[in-house]
Amino acid sequence: MKREPGMHYNTKTLNKVFAFISIIFFIGVLWMFLDDYIRPWKAIQIKSLEIERQALNESIAKENEGIDQEQLELLKQKIDAAQELIENRSTEVASIEKELNLVDKNIYAQNMTNGIHGSKSGEYQFQYEHYHMHGEANKAKEYKVKMEDAKQKFADGKDLLKTLQEQQNEINARLKVITETKSKTEKELNELIGKKERLLVAADKTKMSPIWFLRNSPFIDYLDPTVKIHQIVPEHLTEDRYFVQTPKVDRCITCHTFIDKKGFENQENPYKTHPRLDELAVGRNSAHPMKKFGCTTCHGGEGHRVFDFSAPAHMPQNAKQEKEWKEKYNWHEPHKIAEPMLPLNYTEASCVKCHTGSERIHMAEKLNKGRKLLENYGCYGCHKADGWEHLKKPGPSLTKINSKTSLEFMKNWIWSPHTFNPNSRMPAFFGQSNNKDPKHMVKNITEVNAMAEYIHAKSKTSKAFATYQPGNAENGKNLIQTVGCISCHGVEGIDEPYNKVNSLKGPYLTGTGSKVDPNWLVSWLIKPSHYQEDTIMPSFRLSTQEANDIATYLLGLKNKKFETMKFESINKKIRDDILIGDYFSQFVPIATATKKLDKLSDLERTMELGRLSIGKYGCYSCHDIEGFSADRPPIGPEWNGIGTKFVHQFGFGQQHQIPHRRDAWISAHLKNPRMWDIGVPKPFKDLNRMPNFYLNNEEIEAMTTTMLGFVKQYIPMAGKKNPTANEGFALEGMKVANKYNCYGCHKIDGLGGDILKAYEDDLNAGPPWLVDQGHRVNPLWFQNFLKNVSPIRPYMEVRMPSFNFQEGEVDKLVTYFNASAHKSNFVNSPSIVWESGEKEAAQKMWNAFACTSCHTTGFNNEEAQAPNLHLASKRLRKSWIKKWLTSPIAIQPYSPMPDFWEGGKNPAGEYDESLKGLLGDDPQRQINAMVKYVLSLGKVKESIKNIEASSIEVKETNNTEEVKVEENLPKEETNEEGEK
Amino acid sequence: MKNFLNVYTDPVYSFTFVCIAFFFMIKYVHIVATKKFGIGLMLSTLIMFILCFMDPTFTKNFYITNDNVPIIFLVFLLAWTTWFALYQGVRNDNRIANGLPPLEGTPENREKVWAWPNLVYTELFAIILGTVFLIAWSVFFKAPLEEPANPTWAPNPAKAPWYFLGLQEMLVYFDPWLAGVLLPGLIIVGLIAIPYIDMNPKGNGYYTFAERKFAIITYLFSWLVLWNFLIIIGTVFRGPNWSFYGPFEVWDTHKVVAANNVNISEMLWINTLGVKLPSNIFVREIAGILMTLAYLVLFPIFLTKKIFNFNGLLGKICNGGFLGQRYLKSLGWARYALLIFLVLMMLTLPIKMYMRWLINLKYIVFMPEFEFNI
Repeated sequence: MKREPGMHYNTKTLNKVFAFISIIFFIGVLWMFLDDYIRPWKAIQIKSLEIERQALNESIAKENEGIDQEQLELLKQKIDAAQELIENRSTEVASIEKELNLVDKNIYAQNMTNGIHGSKSGEYQFQYEHYHMHGEANKAKEYKVKMEDAKQKFADGKDLLKTLQEQQNEINARLKVITETKSKTEKELNELIGKKERLLVAADKTKMSPIWFLRNSPFIDYLDPTVKIHQIVPEHLTEDRYFVQTPKVDRCITCHTFIDKKGFENQENPYKTHPRLDELAVGRNSAHPMKKFGCTTCHGGEGHRVFDFSAPAHMPQNAKQEKEWKEKYNWHEPHKIAEPMLPLNYTEASCVKCHTGSERIHMAEKLNKGRKLLENYGCYGCHKADGWEHLKKPGPSLTKINSKTSLEFMKNWIWSPHTFNPNSRMPAFFGQSNNKDPKHMVKNITEVNAMAEYIHAKSKTSKAFATYQPGNAENGKNLIQTVGCISCHGVEGIDEPYNKVNSLKGPYLTGTGSKVDPNWLVSWLIKPSHYQEDTIMPSFRLSTQEANDIATYLLGLKNKKFETMKFESINKKIRDDILIGDYFSQFVPIATATKKLDKLSDLERTMELGRLSIGKYGCYSCHDIEGFSADRPPIGPEWNGIGTKFVHQFGFGQQHQIPHRRDAWISAHLKNPRMWDIGVPKPFKDLNRMPNFYLNNEEIEAMTTTMLGFVKQYIPMAGKKNPTANEGFALEGMKVANKYNCYGCHKIDGLGGDILKAYEDDLNAGPPWLVDQGHRVNPLWFQNFLKNVSPIRPYMEVRMPSFNFQEGEVDKLVTYFNASAHKSNFVNSPSIVWESGEKEAAQKMWNAFACTSCHTTGFNNEEAQAPNLHLASKRLRKSWIKKWLTSPIAIQPYSPMPDFWEGGKNPAGEYDESLKGLLGDDPQRQINAMVKYVLSLGKVKESIKNIEASSIEVKETNNTEEVKVEENLPKEETNEEGEK
Repeated sequence: MKNFLNVYTDPVYSFTFVCIAFFFMIKYVHIVATKKFGIGLMLSTLIMFILCFMDPTFTKNFYITNDNVPIIFLVFLLAWTTWFALYQGVRNDNRIANGLPPLEGTPENREKVWAWPNLVYTELFAIILGTVFLIAWSVFFKAPLEEPANPTWAPNPAKAPWYFLGLQEMLVYFDPWLAGVLLPGLIIVGLIAIPYIDMNPKGNGYYTFAERKFAIITYLFSWLVLWNFLIIIGTVFRGPNWSFYGPFEVWDTHKVVAANNVNISEMLWINTLGVKLPSNIFVREIAGILMTLAYLVLFPIFLTKKIFNFNGLLGKICNGGFLGQRYLKSLGWARYALLIFLVLMMLTLPIKMYMRWLINLKYIVFMPEFEFNI
């Protein structure tokens, strides 16, 4: 083709090229939009529509079955008949409707007019007030007139409106006469099939109609889509963006579509209902409703991301789930997300970030377990943590150790505690993966020798005050099982079911005979505080004979192998080498260090290495050791913030098999703390010293959960649980209760009660549950009781021990119980005012219910099966006795106390016909009478030997009588309690 | 082969290789500027990339940093544009040598055509195709949006956009005020100054190589070797802690590279003279100051003088080939001074690089008291 002048290209060809690349461009743009439009969460929402429809159809079918078809037919016929009646009077109806329409129109028009007058009067009032304020009297006057005029018109209009409304009502009433039958029947019909109709409407909404497609189609779906991102913006909670706190936005519900709806418990994730919906979280009435707390507050992760499965930083629980996710969702490790989601097995860690200061948290079983393990193993001894400062050093004091055990035992024990006691809480420092080669071993042996020598030499002499006399081992074993030792100690050789408790609050008792001095043991059992002033080991008020029996049993537990072990003696050359190489030459050349060493005597060298090694291994963190001051900081790094510490700040060493995750590191560290040294060339003095506790996987998981809870996160004041003054007291007291292991015996408001495992057959024989204990007992009595324990339930073998409480701890405990029961610390001495006939009635019931058959103390010589009722007036609160009588099993389900007024019914029939008609057959009045009766027993206690249950001395007047129960309460404390 | 590449792509070696390659490209330009060589170059580059992508580590590194994508385009485009310019230039040179006008100067190529639609329309095509290309690119490689900035967890390596990575690479050898401020500033000043320095009227409107040798060599050396090669190094071969990582090497954050560099002053006083460093900083740094002054002042003067009277190669080297005098004559002293300053500043980069590699040089002048370190 010939080229046109001035043209390089042919225009037609250019146009064709243009057309072609325009089409390419168009396709490109479409592609871009589609790429943006197709999102994984849309598929999930469409699937949940299907699931919902299916569920609705099921309920419709179920509802359909319940509908009586005959009745339905009948109602329909009735409606038809009523309709016919209406149609027969159609002319009348038409004229009424015409009238009604006119009135309706007038009302509308009048509303408009009133609106105009109303707004005008508002405007004139403003003008009037404005001019009046600025002193322009003329203008003010002018507007005042206008305002008054408008107001008058407005008032008139209102009145007219009322007239019209009256007319409307009158016409409606006329119409109603004609249509009444029909509307009534329609209402009946609605009652019958209304639920089904509503379900049908709901099911209809899940259908994918053409409108549905239109609303969700690309380009248009910005208008009003049904498939869309849903989000929760919880109030007061923020997302930490380092430089700024932004409001938290959780879009998890975009995919977790039924998380807050019941009935989808059996669906696959993400279509599942949240577990414990109504009590724990998500549910509207739960402790943590979804709208208020969002999702990531507890679960962690990036809640605002819905791009794909990996985007919100879902984290698998284990390798199996990881593999499954990789196949199913193409999951990948989150990239540089500081706080990815907590794997499901660690979610409880989140509780702590808001519930700070609470040692036990309800419904967080794993977290509590982990916390207990960390306490028992004494991890806090070496690692500082906020809120754990009040705990005493986990190990026993070594300042008087010589009176307890021998030097040889100490050496062998330090070297390998688990050889002696497989349940040892003292961890193993030696023979670990980073120091078990002979080169390190010889140095370690030298160090152990030196440490033991040092402790031995520094130990003060303490003389046991009792002398051991062999007693009855069988009886000793029985005492161990029954008095309560097992709530803290696991003991070798004890029987079923007592061995089920296996508590590790105190040391596991095995090989005691190979370990301790017999005289020391007897003295310790009788009075633990003689040896260690601040011990938490209580006294069980054992007699000398009992103590000797127990000692006989314990001394019979021997570890023959350990006894014969001889610890290698100190190698002086190695000792001197360590002193020079690792310590003395740190800042000076070796020659100078050697000179320093030469000045020391042989003993001084051993002592010096012992002291330095105790510092090196941090023994002083757990034990009181002479020569180490109490304020020397513990050996380990702090825990605070470990749950949010960046993963790259953890040292993974060469352990590539451990995933680079916080939880994985902590778990691996607990499993074998020395693993990070494997393959890393380190000098002897720099070897990792975290000891091995030989934990099992279950323990590790629980402990890791608790560790992950140590977070440094900013939570706005308004967003978290801020304890009230009362709750603050409760938390403080809880620490004391936990320190002395009250939870070991008592199940306190649902928490604890380890020892009860031994009493599963008869819970009543075990320590009582403490339910609302602050409500139950009189605080003053409680305080005296804790300071000076005397048995309440003499029939029990298990004993409430006498604790070695420190200053102020009793007050804290009492306040704890009062505060958690929302009761005041002061109680009125209850006054008893008998109504007429009430006392006789109470007496009758007392006899009919045969109270003294169990509550025998002071009434007969039978063996008691229940607490001493003579103590009731001093010990119990009046309102609590009433609560107890109303339903004992609501408080202690295991109680043998009969539920006399079960379900609020009159007990007459069941017990004694003579009770019929008693106090008007009113259970409330009957219970009140019994409460008064029980309280009145208190007075009698004084002359307990002389009384008979039937003759209670009370002064009687005609109608009412008043008996003040004598109390030891000082007058000024008898403030009101507000229970009347 | 992979191990060989992992070691020798380190700029310590590869910079020299590239310089040698550049020398041969200029020396044997008539071979480079043939279609056979061009096709061979393209094919071998393509095969090299295909082979590289068969290595999982290379592919993974490629995906980690989205900036590696333009680097691949860059390699091909650079090869293509350089070869094309040389091809056209050499073709014209041959024509001129044979007494023919350059291709652009033939009567049929001198004919004028309308800007619309010949130019504007085709530009529109390019715009649309470019947009389509960007769409496809952005769909395939999503924008690498990262986590919210966290002051305690900075990215490692922290990299600038790919086109600045040559400058970032310079930070290995220079202080920021030099590598980040002065040298880039001089690049811009130098580019602006080119039309005022370049008095050569030849090469207007047509490709040529022989007629503009100095301009082309100087430009291509800085463009290819000092700019693009450093960008490639910075993008592909620099990993965590800005350490060197071979193309098939895993980016291990913990890689340790021993770097004990010393200053000229330390070499002089401690190593050579065996005395303590003088407390007066100017005395301390005297060697470096003198060397810098000599390089920037005496050397350009020296280039213009015939001081030694040697013949042949020795004379050429001793008198700088008498090069300066030629340019001083044709440009005048002002233009000459500017030109020689810019060229010398440009050459500071390879000089400093070699001094670092050969004698572990840290700074020529080290005055942290004034934050003046060169």
